[in-house]
Amino acid sequence: MGSSSGQSNSYDLSFKILLIGDSGVGKSSLLVSFISASTNDLAPTIGVDFKIKLLTVGGKKLKLTIWDTAGQERFRTLTSSYYRGAQGIILVYDVTRRETFTNLSDVWAKEVELHLTNKDCVKMLVGNKVDRESERAVSREEGMALAKELGSLFLECSAKTRENVEQCFEELALKIMEVPSLLEEGSNAVKRNILKPKEGHPAPPGGGCC
Amino acid sequence: MFIDDTNISGGGGGGGLWLRVAPASNVAVAVAVTALAGFAVVVAMFYTASSHTSSSNPSPSSSSSSSSSSSSSSWIHLRSVLFVVTSSSPAYCSHSDRGRLKSSWSRRKRKHALLPRQWRSLFTPEGKFRDGGVKFLKKVRSGLIANDEEDLIRFSSLQSGYCMMGLVIVLAFHVLYDLNSSKDERDLLRTQKRKEYEKLRRQCHRLIKRNNESLKLNDIDGISYDGGTGGFIHEMDSPSSEDVVSARESLSSEERSPVVEYSGDHSSTLLDGDDSSRRITNADSSALNTDSSDSESSEDAEVTQTFPTTESREEVDPGMTPKDDCPCTEGRSKLPTVEDFTTWQRIIRLDAVRANAEWIPYSQSQAGVSDDIARCAAEAVGLKDYDHLEPCRIFHAARLVAILEAYALFDPEIGYCQGMSDLLSPIITVMTEDHEAFWCFVGFMKKARHNFRLDEVGIRRQLSIVSKIIKSKDSHLYRHLEKLQAEDCFFVYRMVVVLFRRELTYEQTLCLWEVMWADQAAIRAGIGKSAWSRIRQRAPPTDDLLLYAIAASVLQKRKLIIEKYSSMDEILRECNSMSGHLDVWKLLDDAHDLVMTLHEKIETSLS
Repeated sequence: MGSSSGQSNSYDLSFKILLIGDSGVGKSSLLVSFISASTNDLAPTIGVDFKIKLLTVGGKKLKLTIWDTAGQERFRTLTSSYYRGAQGIILVYDVTRRETFTNLSDVWAKEVELHLTNKDCVKMLVGNKVDRESERAVSREEGMALAKELGSLFLECSAKTRENVEQCFEELALKIMEVPSLLEEGSNAVKRNILKPKEGHPAPPGGGCC
Repeated sequence: MFIDDTNISGGGGGGGLWLRVAPASNVAVAVAVTALAGFAVVVAMFYTASSHTSSSNPSPSSSSSSSSSSSSSSWIHLRSVLFVVTSSSPAYCSHSDRGRLKSSWSRRKRKHALLPRQWRSLFTPEGKFRDGGVKFLKKVRSGLIANDEEDLIRFSSLQSGYCMMGLVIVLAFHVLYDLNSSKDERDLLRTQKRKEYEKLRRQCHRLIKRNNESLKLNDIDGISYDGGTGGFIHEMDSPSSEDVVSARESLSSEERSPVVEYSGDHSSTLLDGDDSSRRITNADSSALNTDSSDSESSEDAEVTQTFPTTESREEVDPGMTPKDDCPCTEGRSKLPTVEDFTTWQRIIRLDAVRANAEWIPYSQSQAGVSDDIARCAAEAVGLKDYDHLEPCRIFHAARLVAILEAYALFDPEIGYCQGMSDLLSPIITVMTEDHEAFWCFVGFMKKARHNFRLDEVGIRRQLSIVSKIIKSKDSHLYRHLEKLQAEDCFFVYRMVVVLFRRELTYEQTLCLWEVMWADQAAIRAGIGKSAWSRIRQRAPPTDDLLLYAIAASVLQKRKLIIEKYSSMDEILRECNSMSGHLDVWKLLDDAHDLVMTLHEKIETSLS
């Protein structure tokens, strides 16, 4: 409770990352696997939620605010307002369910283009559930091809075994730091917090969703 | 507060009272919906009786235990005849963290749980509520049904099944039954409702089967998860009988009466090809007499195993949703369905296998289900990816699938939306019969479905009410929210959508829902403010108790929010992490306080 405040000077950069993709691909699991190393089954996400992770990448202390969104189509109006101000977007599919992969290019990639505020935002394509290799329905090559098409990073991982989970977030963060405009956003967010730790006036209009 | 038993004549009727035949003339129009209340009450009485005799109760009122034991044999007999919620031993609620969290609410109440004779005294020999349910609802609202003698909070002491029964009864009456219905009327309708549900299940099977034939197979048991793009919806859109039209007409003319509306609506939809009960479509009392009796029931018993083929007449028209004010149901062909039935089926199955296991301690019978039965149930509904689950969770998941799928057919405008499995899970824990659970869920969704609408009108309206409550109560906090651009209260989104299910424990959720439903039932039954004036809970019943409770949970954090939080994100996080930190009784206390001081203002601002 309230743990996120008062940390303003313990990190150098602050980035907002968004997880999107179809229902049941494992967005929440990926996040929880990253944050707490827990790999339990999770109930479907209702609306949005987020978690904060502090980590050091490339010699910089980072605060990652990772937003987890509901996958079902009808939550999309709600979740779309959370794209605002994101520096990184992770598009997740399930390697055992092909339609979750095709939906990324048919649906989700379009959502991203529509709602992103910073066009430099780094995208990353993630194929989850590689622990179920025998059920695989999307090949690694296909994943790489789509990533190329979308101009995004690519990784396959397993929230269950935690294979590649940390790499996923770290690579994304590294890439974000290579982009000057994003780097600036990330350090501005920190400055803002230090300068006015609890002033009335809103920081970024982050989650405003009227 | 208690019923004065000496004034009540039917108290000693015991089991016998259930066997009498209700005069048909008493059938109220609104009764046409219901069938379940009979079971609910009967079960409640059964449990109350049996559990009570086994508990040692030092209070003077436990003198009634003699009456309960004397009548228990007839109850046991009845149990085989009548609908019983669960054939297991009573649900038990063994623990509670309430001891240390006592609020003024709980301290205030030094009341007894309902004793068998008190249960009986609520009803006439025909099984009707004596006073239209006023006393009953008052008791529920004040947390009485599940209260035990020592006031160890309702759920703490339970060797008995009080809490569950309270829930079932309130649920059944709230959502399905008319408070003036008699036992016989309810029984009759129960049979009818069971058939309707079974028909829905057959439709589900047929759709799955047809889908498999027309689309390429992709999975075990013939359930295709391939994105069949709207194929179902199209097929279902085929011209349907005139009954649909008439049903729709009756729907609009009866809009103000949810009970009748439901009756008119789904019976028409579902029975429209069934000659033997066709006339039930007319949602009036005469329909009751045409029920085609039990003769069909055995044929339908194993719906999940066999079903007739090629009966297009049973297809559900997607326009046949219980529509209220939705602007988008003008024409059947213009459904804004971006998701189709196939999508829903897929998501339902995904969500069912990851439903949480919190319910397990509350239903012994379902917790102990055998592996065979569980797997059989899973196969019957085409569940997948469940091998990692224990049998009881497989079984639970299979039931979720069966009912949610039927619901998606029944209400195609809403279909399935994530969060609905959260709402259904407690219901199937309490009700072991799928068809009962289904109809209770339908009634439950009557109000909740608006939260799941694609156009988000329902959810936005709810959030705006929460916002108004906060604004009226605490302008300082509200100004702070405005500064953070959070005055739209989107941070309580999840609480609204799943009715606090994620923030409260299983037991707490039942407490809240029970009280909430009692309020809504009271309003529906037209029990006005005057009727409540003499009871301690002076807050009048409101349809929006949930929203007051949500506002209360935010107001409890006002200091933290004002002093520490400088973005809406932080408030969202706070709200999403309330799980396990809420005291439901304090919440209800606060909510009732808010209702008392604000309801007039809020309600006028809404109208």
